[in-house]
Amino acid sequence: MSPDAYDIKEKLGVVFQDVAVFEELTVYENIDYFCGLYIKDKEKRKQYIEEAIELVGLEEFKKFHPKQLSGGLLRRLNIACGIAHKPKLIFLDEPTVAVDPQSRNNILDGIQKLRDNGATIVYTTHYMEEVEIICDRVIILDKGKVLATGTTDELKELAKIEEKVTVEVNDLNEEYIEKMRKLENVDEVTYNGNILLVTYKKGKNNLVELIDYLKKESIKYNKIYSERPTLNDVFLELTGKELRD
Amino acid sequence: MFMHNFKYALKTLFRDRMLIFWTFAFPIILGAFFNMAFSNIENSEKLEIINIAIIDNDEFQNNELYKQAFKTLSDEENKDRLFNTKYVTEEEAKDLLEKDEITGYMLLEEDTPKIVVTTSGINETILKYVVEEIVTNGEIVENIMEKEIQNGIGAGIYNLYNLDYEKIYKNVLEKTQNQDVKIKDISNNNLSYTMIEFYTLIAMACLYGGILGMVAINKNLANMSNNGKRVSVAPTPKGKVIFSSILASYITQLIGLTLLFIFTIFVLKVDYGTNLPLIILLGIVGSLAGLSMGVAIGTILKSNENVKIGIIIAVTMLGCFLSGMMGITMKYIIDTNLPIVNKINPASMITDGFYSLYYYDTLDRYYFNIISLLVFSLIMIIVSYTSLRRQKFESL
Repeated sequence: MSPDAYDIKEKLGVVFQDVAVFEELTVYENIDYFCGLYIKDKEKRKQYIEEAIELVGLEEFKKFHPKQLSGGLLRRLNIACGIAHKPKLIFLDEPTVAVDPQSRNNILDGIQKLRDNGATIVYTTHYMEEVEIICDRVIILDKGKVLATGTTDELKELAKIEEKVTVEVNDLNEEYIEKMRKLENVDEVTYNGNILLVTYKKGKNNLVELIDYLKKESIKYNKIYSERPTLNDVFLELTGKELRD
Repeated sequence: MFMHNFKYALKTLFRDRMLIFWTFAFPIILGAFFNMAFSNIENSEKLEIINIAIIDNDEFQNNELYKQAFKTLSDEENKDRLFNTKYVTEEEAKDLLEKDEITGYMLLEEDTPKIVVTTSGINETILKYVVEEIVTNGEIVENIMEKEIQNGIGAGIYNLYNLDYEKIYKNVLEKTQNQDVKIKDISNNNLSYTMIEFYTLIAMACLYGGILGMVAINKNLANMSNNGKRVSVAPTPKGKVIFSSILASYITQLIGLTLLFIFTIFVLKVDYGTNLPLIILLGIVGSLAGLSMGVAIGTILKSNENVKIGIIIAVTMLGCFLSGMMGITMKYIIDTNLPIVNKINPASMITDGFYSLYYYDTLDRYYFNIISLLVFSLIMIIVSYTSLRRQKFESL
């Protein structure tokens, strides 16, 4: 895209990872300034600003300066500045980094509303649970390369495992763990602290079989539950578990 | 779009406390300090008349400048005179110095003055400073003479092949005396160090406009700030955004300069005399030079805003120092030994413009400095424009 592709630019909205607002301007003025780079009509702009403020829940902070806002509120202002002009395509780069759960919830709600209003959103994040909540299609990128694409369900099918069973159990010795590894469909067994994690390659009645085994061996447990693999599991499986810079 | 950006650029500038301090408050505070320091020197306890001696040799007798200067400085009819001067032989002077009857004496040899003192103190410093000023002003007289000869030959007053130096010298002295310039009464009220300091203060305030220019650039370029990234993805021509921001910076700078003038005129009671409109014009052009320098620094350097502010302040202070802020002698040392430095130093162009109003009867040199500042500004703008045109970003 060339710098003077204004017809394309006016349809874009970008929310950068770093907060990009003027410290000297109030919440309202910041949104007005950035929105004014797209919308010339004052009345229309005023309406758009009010809608953006409502979307991110900053109604009570219109006259506040950025320094007076908490991290979460600042992130919300950052989003409002990027989307107030009602773009058709919005790029959001990790907009929920280091925010409190309430603000994160508000931000995700706002993004869903933007989507519902017809905008296409490209959302970059490391939080897989957010992806599961808001994304229709997912691309997993690692070191600039596309590793997988698809819906969340499609990606989960890429996982080697079908089921995860977590058991809270005290004093489990290695002998029992070895025996469990030999059970049908078991992919891996790990025991850390008092958490026993058994992953299965396939099958649907794995939980019942594991409970039977525990009873047979008279192993006492406090809690047991079964889960399908998460997007996080898929991500780790595709990108590896070694630590990154 | 232009007005929208201009309005917000003004708002951000006026609400930035650090910028307001450097562009508005700092020159005013410094001006107040100058006023306290120099008005005390000029108005306070009258200095005691200093006893000195001059070695009355042929060289001194043939040097009109020194003769006239010490005659004026020792005029017995003037109760505020600086010196009680005795014209003696070197032997007598040594004897007087030994007996502590004089502070020191001056010996003129091969057109070079030699000051002899036995101790160091205020009186000795004054004697030394006055002689340095005579040397400096001697050079100015030489410059004026050169111009007088050129103009005189052109007008047919002098003959190129038979120059009457005595007549020329008298004409020059007459002109300088008639026009109330500093040379004629080096010791009197006309030689106001406060005025000189205020001129350099205005030069400094003009160049501090560079900070505003740099900020205008930093806030709008994608590789300089997060806000710049946001501006660069907007469907707004970069030139329009940057120009409106720079215009806001320039207006802010001129408001700062106006406040400085108002403060110095109405609070500090500085009398700029009849040259005030020309001084203001020089301030306006000087501010443009400072602003464009800041824009160029903002465009070319890739470091953060604080580093750039530091660089602009350092460049400004160095420029002011070399152009005579901490002593007019420095300007002439540079002019004599490294003239190229002051030719490209905008602070020097500004102060030289002020001095030329003070020293010369014609405005040629003043306008030369105005044009130099405009050329300097144009070069800075071309450098910035070329650099900005080349900037494209693959990723932000």
